[in-house]
Order: sequence, then structure tokens, then C-alpha cells
Amino acid sequence: MPYQLENRPPDLRESMYFPEIIRGIGTITKHFLKNLFFSRDANPDILARKRGGFGHSDNVTLQYPEERAPYAPAYRGLHRLVPREDGKPRCVACYMCATICPAQCIYIEAAEYPDDPVEKYPAKFVIDELRCIVCGFCVEACPKDAIRMDSGEHTPPSYERSAQIWDEKRLLRGPPVSYQYDPWLRRGSPSIPPDKLEEMRARAKPFPTVATDEASQTPGFSVRALAAEAKDRAQAARK
Amino acid sequence: MAEEKKPDAAPPKPPGPPAPPPPKNPGFVTAIVDGKEVVVKPGTTVIEAAKAVGIDIPYYCYHKRLSIAANCRMCLVEMSNAPGGKLMPACQMPVAEGVTVKTDTPRVKDQQRATLEFLLLNHPVDCSICDQAGECKLQDYYMAYDRQPSRLDVPKVMKGKRVELGPTVTLDQERCILCTRCVRFMREVAENPQLGVAQRGNESFITTFPGQPLDDKYAGNVVDICPVGALTSTDFRFRGRVWFMSSARSVCTGCARGCNTFLDYLNDVTYRYRPRENDAVNEEWMCDDGRTSYKYLNAGRVLVAREGRGANAQPLPRKVAPRRAAEVLLPHVAAGSLAVLLSPVASLEDLLVACKVAKEGLKVGEVYAGGRADGWQDDFLKRADENPNRKGLELAAAAYGLAVRPFADLVAAAGAGKVKGLWAVGTEVPDAKAAEKLGALEIVAQSYGDAALAQHAAVLLPASPHSEMDGTFVNFEGRAQRFEMAYFPKGESRPHWALAAELGAALGLPLAFASGREVFAALGPQLGSALGDFAWDSLPSTGSRLGIVPLAAGTVDGRLPGNRDRVPSETTEDYRRAMSRTS
Repeated sequence: MPYQLENRPPDLRESMYFPEIIRGIGTITKHFLKNLFFSRDANPDILARKRGGFGHSDNVTLQYPEERAPYAPAYRGLHRLVPREDGKPRCVACYMCATICPAQCIYIEAAEYPDDPVEKYPAKFVIDELRCIVCGFCVEACPKDAIRMDSGEHTPPSYERSAQIWDEKRLLRGPPVSYQYDPWLRRGSPSIPPDKLEEMRARAKPFPTVATDEASQTPGFSVRALAAEAKDRAQAARK
Repeated sequence: MAEEKKPDAAPPKPPGPPAPPPPKNPGFVTAIVDGKEVVVKPGTTVIEAAKAVGIDIPYYCYHKRLSIAANCRMCLVEMSNAPGGKLMPACQMPVAEGVTVKTDTPRVKDQQRATLEFLLLNHPVDCSICDQAGECKLQDYYMAYDRQPSRLDVPKVMKGKRVELGPTVTLDQERCILCTRCVRFMREVAENPQLGVAQRGNESFITTFPGQPLDDKYAGNVVDICPVGALTSTDFRFRGRVWFMSSARSVCTGCARGCNTFLDYLNDVTYRYRPRENDAVNEEWMCDDGRTSYKYLNAGRVLVAREGRGANAQPLPRKVAPRRAAEVLLPHVAAGSLAVLLSPVASLEDLLVACKVAKEGLKVGEVYAGGRADGWQDDFLKRADENPNRKGLELAAAAYGLAVRPFADLVAAAGAGKVKGLWAVGTEVPDAKAAEKLGALEIVAQSYGDAALAQHAAVLLPASPHSEMDGTFVNFEGRAQRFEMAYFPKGESRPHWALAAELGAALGLPLAFASGREVFAALGPQLGSALGDFAWDSLPSTGSRLGIVPLAAGTVDGRLPGNRDRVPSETTEDYRRAMSRTS
């Protein structure tokens, strides 16, 4: 809260000086006693915690490793390559992201599917997260909605540089996405069983013409689930 | 009676249309295109006339070396003499005297938009997969003339997606806009009509005759002339994106014709050859064998000098290598048992320096010509001699008074024991079996690749092929053609002329050159008037292109930080600064 100060000459009480001193000491004392006798709101939903009202301490420090503030839905997190329902990447190696990337941290090598209507896929898709400046241009440039930064997590720290270079195996994760115009749904694909294809067609959604946040467009998507996943992975890695 | 019936005089003729005015420029046709007066030869089409005054009329099916089909309807313009004020195809209508042509009226623009919408109706939006992206006239014209969203609300017509037309060409029938350029090319230029259009209407597609592949040796050109992504090169498919690649003006090394090419490269890898226009040599065509002849530039290269063969091979430092080579050759020079093998795949500059070293350093009186074995020949472009510079070899040898002897003589001489040492500038040999017999010799070889004769070399020096040097090839007609360096020599390889000059310096000759240009300036006069009016700096600048040069992505793909493709001087920062200071 910005503190509004009116630009006026001091009134009688203020020019007497002492009443204001005492009022200030009173304010300090009030906060002191509140923080002395009350504790923080322990609501697990961090963003909904009350602070500073009656019954709550002003202190809102997060107990960091155990409590973490969730990122906003629009947070540009770690990249992911969006999978199709059959586990292949949506990416067709068109190099748009590598072309627009101002840090030039994306390296792609294309290869050809023998049996998929999409014909092309990234045999190598490497992002150097150390070079990445997290601008999100790759997501905007992608014509296939094949790369997203909706994972809600930042790049995990590591002790080796090589661990910051994410290849397509590590990047391909998260909930699959299908749109009605997708070639493998329109034409069918010999690599997808027919019943699976029907199911995919039923799940496919029309391509959005308005930009909304991706979290709300992806069924089953949850920042928290992803964060928990990441936490479990980290714990598994520690063991 | 009869006299009375006889008219006194012929009745006046009814007034017809006024006689056309005499031509403004006799012998030429004068017309007005968009308010600009053009004077062209009779028979010139409106497209060419407009091009002459810098007006671009869009077209898909028109090609100046093919017959006119006028079926894409993209070039319709308003002409003052059109019947009923109809729009006329500019690619097909010759300019007539006094005609006014308008190419930017609302009617024409509306027509262009409608035509593009029609052509794009069933076109799959495959740009992210399609190899034509970046070179696609549909994309270019859509952005320039259309920019409308699709109004199609029924499913698009589906056709064959990956039709293997033949060994070199893959067709995507959906992307085809049926301009029939490829059909006309096969019929008129390749004179082997293997392509045609089947079916009718929006179900038509380009195809070969049933069961017959598109196996003509010039089929690769249909990929170049295809204005959209329908015909793609099987060899280049999905190998890379063209906007990253730079193009160097080069010459094909597949045969003695010396077709002018663009060498498309990125990060020291040659990705493809494209034919470059040169009316005198190859118009703008190229054979398929030439198209795929780039592979030796990338793979199997020798990158470090080497001493000893087989299991005893030791890498040699660059500084030491020419001295070691000289030590190997000198005893043979003294004994007179040394032969020099020159390869007609090396450039003219290479061979000039090599001949100078052979004559003055190694004291030989004759050189043997190696080179690749003969291949097929036809009456269009391909020559049986698969070496780009045999004529250059002869000229360079003649310039230094050396006799040129065929490779078979070298094998015979080696068999007879007259030759015990060999200096090979380029290890291409026509006869691999005979090359095995040369394995017993003490060989100093300068080689691009690590095969055949290079395996037997006592000292092997890594050489740079034409993609990594500036130089000249002399084709079978004696036409000298420049090619330019695409990227710097790989590893420790250097052009043959540099290696030969180092060897010469080790033999005590005062030889040192900084560039191919310097070689030609120093030794070119030896050739006398053999090259006619050839000038070293005569490379035409049309069409060469700089790609988006990626920065080094450091650890991602193994390139070194700070790696850059070669950038011509006029685009360097220093140059721009200097220019801004002067202006």
C-alpha cells in the first residue's frame, strides 16, 4: 500500500509534535504485540494465506524448501515437447523455433517417418537451457503447438553443464495434445491402431483462435501435479 | 449499252478502321507498361517486357526456357487491345505496337487474389514439413498478393503424399498446383517425356506412366523448376532448411562440362548443388550425377597429415609434413626414379603450382594424368570425362613444358621398375586395380579422401577440394570458369597449391602464396593466351545468397564457440564502419 501524504501545512496536533510521536509508538506496539502473540496463517494454499489481519502475524516468510510459492499460469517454465497420444512428438522439425530463437540455443536434426502422414520428425531436438533466455519466442513461432513452456517449473539446477542440455528424450513429457486438423487424425496413420485413433479423434479439440492460457486448454493439466512430479523426480535422484 | 453500264470510276471504299500508326521505333515494338515506355524486339512477351523496366508480374507456370502453357492464370494483366476488355495472360501475349498494359489496377489485383485463392484451395498447409519452405512461390505470392484466410469449408482433396517418382525425385501430389513445368521440361529439354498429368479437374495429378520410374538423368531439374513443394529431391529431403544455408558460386566437378552451380553450405557442410544460370555452358540445367557429386566434400576426408601406412600411421604436424615429404622424394629425384601424378580434379591454380614444383623442384620432364574413370556421355550436358579440369591439366603442363602421359603408362613404368617414387597431387585414379600395383612405390600423396592411393602413401597431405578454395576449372571446351570458396578448409587440410608450394619451399624453391588469386596472378601469365579473355575476378554476382548464419550453439552441437560461416568482406562490421565513416 503506498502511503498517501497530503501536501498541506501541519495542523495543530501535528505541529504540537508529541501526540504524533505517541501515535506512532502505538502503531509499532500494535504490530509488535500481534507478531509476538500470533503466528503465520498455516493455510497450505500459499496464495490464499491471510496476512496481518486480526489473528495473523505480519510475517509471511515461506519456509522455502518445504513450502514453495506456485508460479503463475502464464509463467514461462522449462520447455517441453508436446507429445501426441501415441507418444510421438507433435514436432515436425520445421526449425521455426531454432530460426527465431535469439539465443540460438535450439538444435534440431530432422528425420523421416516411414509410415506416418506427418513424414518428418526431430531425430534430435536439443535445447541448451544455459543459453536459453526464456523469451518464449519458440512457443509463439511453433506452427504445430509442439513446444510449450507450460511445465510450471524452472530449469532444475545441476552441478554439470551437460545436465542443462536437454535432448528430445527429456523434453518430451507432459499431457498429450491433439487438434482436429492434425494430419494423423485426418488421414489415419498405420502406426496408430484404429481404436486408439478413434479415441484420439474423439478427444481432439478445435484449434483455438483466441489466445488463452494453455493450462485451461489442456484437460488434466495441473501445475501442481507437474511440480509434484518434478519433486518426486528430484527425490528419486537424491536416493 | 455496255458502255453506259460501265462505271466512271470505282466507288469510294467504305471507311474502315484507321490504318495503324507507323511504329515508333522501326524494327522494335513500343508499348507502355504501367506508364513506362518499353521498346522490345517483336515477339517479346509482356512478362519479359515488364521485367525489362523493372515491373514484376507474378507467374507460376511460365519459364523462359520452356514452352508457354499459360495455365496458372497468375499473370493476367489489363491490355488496351484485349477483346472485350478481358484480362490477358502476360506470359503468353506478345507485346504489340502502341499497347498499354496495366499490371496494378484493382481488377488485376482482384484477379491475382482470386487466382491464388483457387490455387491454394486444396493446397495442404504443409509448410512446416515441406522442403520448399523458404524458396516457395506460393508463400511469396501469398504474402505479396493475397493475405486472405481460407474460405474452404469442405475437406480438401486428398492425393498421394509421398510418391517415389524415381531414384532422385519424390512427389507430393497434394502440394502440386499443376503448372506442368515439369511435364514440359521432360518433354522439351530432357526430351524424355516421362511425366504427364492424369485425371481431370481438382483430382488431376502429375505422374509417370504406370510402372515406369522417372529415371531420366536430368530429372533432378524438375525439382528446381517446381515453383511449389510438390517435387522434392530425395537426396536433400529433410536434410536441412534452406534459409540457414549460404550459396557459393561454384562449378560442378562431376564431369568435364563444368556446369555452373550454387554450392549450398552451412557450417562447413555442403548440402546440395543447384544449377546456376550460364547460357554458354549449361543454360540452367544439371544432370543428376552432378547433383550428387558433392558427397566427397563432406565424407571420408583426410584432415590431418600422416606418415606411414596401415598400422604404422603417425599423424604429422603441419609444419613438419612438407619437409618429410621432401625427404621422401629427394632420393628419387637424385636417382631419376620419380614420377609425378596430377589429378584433373584439382583446380588450375593447384596444377600450375604443382607443375612448377615438378619442373623446377623435382626436375621431371613429364607428368602422368590420373583422374576418375570415364562414365556415360550424352548429347546434352554430360561428358564421358568425369574430371572437371583435364583441359586445365594439359594447359598447366604445357605452360611448363611437361609432357602429359596417361595413367596406364605410369602403371607400366612402375611395373618395369623405372619409377620408384611418386608425388600424387590428387589421388583420383581411373583404375583401382592398377592403383594397387602402385602401392609398392614410395608415395607422397595430397588427397581429399582417405581411400585408394592415399592408403598406400608414405606421406599423406590433406588437401582441400573446390568447396574450400578459390580457383578455376577449365572445361572441355577450354572455357575457364571461376568458383569461389564456400567455407574455410576443414581441419588441417589446405588447397593443393598451398601444399605444393610448401613442398616446393622445402625443396628450396622461393614459393609462397597467400591465395588462389595470388597464384593466378603469379603463374597465370605462364599460360599465355590459352584462356582467352578470362579474368580472375569475373564471377557474376547474381543469385549468390547468404543464409542466416547461426551463432555457435556452444556445447549443443559440438561447434566451437565463435564459429562463423565465411562472410564476404562487404558485410563485415569493419567494412560497414568504414563505409559509414566515408559517407
